Amino acid sequence: MKSIFLILIFIFLPIQSAMSFTEREINIYKNLRCLVCQGQSLNDSNSDFAIDLKKVIKKKIINKQTDQEIYKYLTERYGDWILLDPPLKKTTIVLWIFPLLFIFFGGFFVYKSVRIYSNN
Amino acid sequence: MKNKFKISLLFFITVIFFIIFYYSLKANNKNNPNTMLNKKLPPIELTSLINTNLKQTLPIISEDKFYLINIWSSWCVPCRDEHQILMLLKDKIKIYGINYKDQKSNAVSFLNELGNPFYFIGTDKDGSTAIEMGAYGVPETYIVNSEGLIVFKHVGPLNKKIYLKISEIIK
Repeated sequence: MKSIFLILIFIFLPIQSAMSFTEREINIYKNLRCLVCQGQSLNDSNSDFAIDLKKVIKKKIINKQTDQEIYKYLTERYGDWILLDPPLKKTTIVLWIFPLLFIFFGGFFVYKSVRIYSNN
Repeated sequence: MKNKFKISLLFFITVIFFIIFYYSLKANNKNNPNTMLNKKLPPIELTSLINTNLKQTLPIISEDKFYLINIWSSWCVPCRDEHQILMLLKDKIKIYGINYKDQKSNAVSFLNELGNPFYFIGTDKDGSTAIEMGAYGVPETYIVNSEGLIVFKHVGPLNKKIYLKISEIIK
């Protein structure tokens, strides 16, 4: 049974890694803002700027640069604004903490309500 | 007692929201195109538009205190508008042009018609050099000092006001 699994893994492994290249590429595009067409991600946009930027990113992926290196390259030139997924920083801490607070207080509220309801 | 707690909690949350939204209203959420300002110009190799054997690397090592980099194209209408300003600047500062996604014949006839303010023109056929410089499109103007630091950047066409500002910087 184990050996069959191993064989299957070895058959599908190359396919998986081949797919992950384009997946990775699209993933990066989805995390970036098209700067000249605000409100769209790079992946959604077909503006000249977006097409050029995609070419540059593709070249970097082919040159075996990591995602982090690519994001760093872009934020050095275009600022954090180009990232659709904002980094955890002093200025964005509220953005990151609020959902957690909501879950916490919401959970507390639900817990309280359920207890009151079941007591009745 | 319990009600009092609820009311004060509600009040507290409302106040927090109010403060956040108030500051978010004031915050500048617009894109800031001047990220590259006060940063080092990344190393770039330009190939001459006129003679493809001629290369020029940026940043430039020279005795000049400042030089100007202008990204332009013959198909770009605002570039036509700003061209007279570049003609005014050409005696004051060395201007390096980056011809953005253009055809050589169009670029040459553009310069024949309006004059050539450039000390050197490099080509950027696929727009990758512009991205390397953190540009959004055409026209865009940079002033770089002898240490390779970008001391001024302007997105869009130059005008009289910007001309005066540039003259002040390079004085």
